[in-house]
Amino acid sequence: MKLLALFFLLAASVVNAATAATLHIAIVTAQAFESPNRGKSFAGIQTRPERSIQRAVELALFESTTSFDASGIDAQLKIIDLNKDRPLKEQIEQIHPEALVLVDTPKAEFIELARLFHELNRVTVNVRHSDALLRDQLCLPTLYHTIPSDRMYFDALSQFLIYRGWRKVLIVHGPTDNDKQRTEILKQSLEKFGADLSEIREFTLSHHPDDRDKNKPEFLTGGASYDVVAVIDSAYDFGRYIQYSTRRARPVVGDVGLTPMGWHRTLERYGAPQLNERFQTFLPDQPLSATEALSDTEFAAWSAVKLITNSLHVIDSTDSVIQPRHILSHPEAQVDLYKGTRGSIRRWNHQLRQPILLTTGDAVIAVAPMPKFLHPKHYVDTLGLDEPESPCRMQ
Amino acid sequence: MTIHHPIRQTSRLLTILSILTIAGPCYAFEALITNERSGTVIHVDAQGQTTEVVPICRRPRGMVRGTTTDEVLIACSDDHKVIIYDRIKRQVTREITPVPGAMNLTIHPETNRLLVTNEGAAKASVFTLSTGELIAALPTGLEPDGIAITENGSQIFVASENSGLVHVFDGVTYEPRGTIATNLRPRRIALRNDTLWVSTEMGSRVEIFDINTLVKINEILFAPKGFRPEQMTPVDILFNDAANEAYVALGSANHVAVVDLNTLAINKYILVGRRAWGLGLSPDQSTLIVLNGLSDDFTLIDLATKRPRLTKRAGLIPHSIEVFE
Repeated sequence: MKLLALFFLLAASVVNAATAATLHIAIVTAQAFESPNRGKSFAGIQTRPERSIQRAVELALFESTTSFDASGIDAQLKIIDLNKDRPLKEQIEQIHPEALVLVDTPKAEFIELARLFHELNRVTVNVRHSDALLRDQLCLPTLYHTIPSDRMYFDALSQFLIYRGWRKVLIVHGPTDNDKQRTEILKQSLEKFGADLSEIREFTLSHHPDDRDKNKPEFLTGGASYDVVAVIDSAYDFGRYIQYSTRRARPVVGDVGLTPMGWHRTLERYGAPQLNERFQTFLPDQPLSATEALSDTEFAAWSAVKLITNSLHVIDSTDSVIQPRHILSHPEAQVDLYKGTRGSIRRWNHQLRQPILLTTGDAVIAVAPMPKFLHPKHYVDTLGLDEPESPCRMQ
Repeated sequence: MTIHHPIRQTSRLLTILSILTIAGPCYAFEALITNERSGTVIHVDAQGQTTEVVPICRRPRGMVRGTTTDEVLIACSDDHKVIIYDRIKRQVTREITPVPGAMNLTIHPETNRLLVTNEGAAKASVFTLSTGELIAALPTGLEPDGIAITENGSQIFVASENSGLVHVFDGVTYEPRGTIATNLRPRRIALRNDTLWVSTEMGSRVEIFDINTLVKINEILFAPKGFRPEQMTPVDILFNDAANEAYVALGSANHVAVVDLNTLAINKYILVGRRAWGLGLSPDQSTLIVLNGLSDDFTLIDLATKRPRLTKRAGLIPHSIEVFE
């Protein structure tokens, strides 16, 4: 009881101390390594917004102004765009050793950087890649993921299908390795929650008449019995044409149609409209239109900074430099995600646990976990690999 | 041809029984409920019947009793004003405007003041209650919600949901007197003796602070059966000193907690509707009324037995409640 009281006293003193402390944040991008067609499909059609995560990070810092003032914290944001011609290590060594480093680069460079940062003992956050590989195999103690994993997205979708009673699923996927890997994860999710797999089929972009079974949506979805078509098309090349062209009149889900997302512009509850409005208007000279919202990557970048600023009380406040590593590894670190349940870090694979939204273009249809999917310990831990299932076992 | 229908007969029997029980120990009251999405105030009697639906303004949220028992003040968020509604005449008698993003409010009749939080504007506003004249603007963190003033008018508290802070202001000079760091998303503030109770919606707890030292002295965690800790999203706090109890609406946990004011132990969890947040108490302390924000209804709880008596339809997104004789 005495200890508890002491803790409360300490917590209160954070407010009154007003000692100057600095929070270092770094954004690492690699424009030179990005595909020139990033976010675009054939013929330059933009399928996804591609903005720098800087705006999202600045929003998170803007939101923290009052609490920073109250506790005497000053935030320093450093942005590094990697040069192709210089050694990566040399470039990232400029970053403050105690910075929270948000990495927004293509996957190959991300993996290289994550390893380098690990060698340098710097804390890194993945805000962009949902790949299982980064969580299950790479599994670095310095690496955290605030973007949901594919498994979280697909577990949310699978729960929704079971909840709706749409158990029989036809999977249609693209030809890339990424599509095939994600199809495998979708399959595992569907199996876990008890869906029936009707068939798995691959589409091709070829228009050749010999390929019509694989390039015409009517044929691709014909000759099978299913309640719903799940489309995996990481490049957004073909999947967009499957809706309304299926052989049977069935809903389409996955990368098109009903899509699991980390964030959405039309979430009505939990303070989400305020966050969306703020994102559009907080920079008076660079306003965004009212239809724009944080992408999943931007939301992940915002979440990472907010996890630190929402949890400053868990660490010793007397240091002149705030050490995000001690917050990220603290079991009581938590973040208000504006989606009804707070977020926190899974100790076993450093993934930010969070609800997943099931969305269409203009509505949030459901927020997973769906009713009746109960986890013995943590409300949202039916989404993503649970501790006993995870090959990554950090503590 | 008559079809024998056992289920329907049972339900008819239940209806008769429930009418009999309702007619029994119940005292009359009138409750007013603001409905955020339908833009109405509804009048509800002790049987849970809606006796009047009054279109009032766009997005009516916070509501508080006026200086007479005929009046309530209502924050109209999307009309950026506060209205004074006469519940006997069933009409709006006065408006205070502009009040940008009016969210929650309280009054201090002894000093003739109205205090309102301005949700989108990161501030709270103080008005002369009788004239509607703006006296002061109090800067806060983002998304200010709960607001309270001490009985002697010397201290004002405003919760900023986004910042995780309760801002403290001098009740006379309006100078900032510091901040209290709370858990995630502080929503409502309730004052009792020298303590300040704050519900932290995403922190899943009620924190209790000493209003003189601003130091945290206690906290209450919740654990109704079948829910995980992070599903506790407490909002309204209501004291019933006569019964030595406090009630806390647990939001997405769909329960109300009954807290013993001496020990802070939770005596009972009462199952209500979805996302329970607004709370009202009948003047005779016999009935607790709980507004369920996601199921658009309200639940009457018999406080003698701590059992829900009935649940009835409200307007769309019921927000706040005041109960009168």
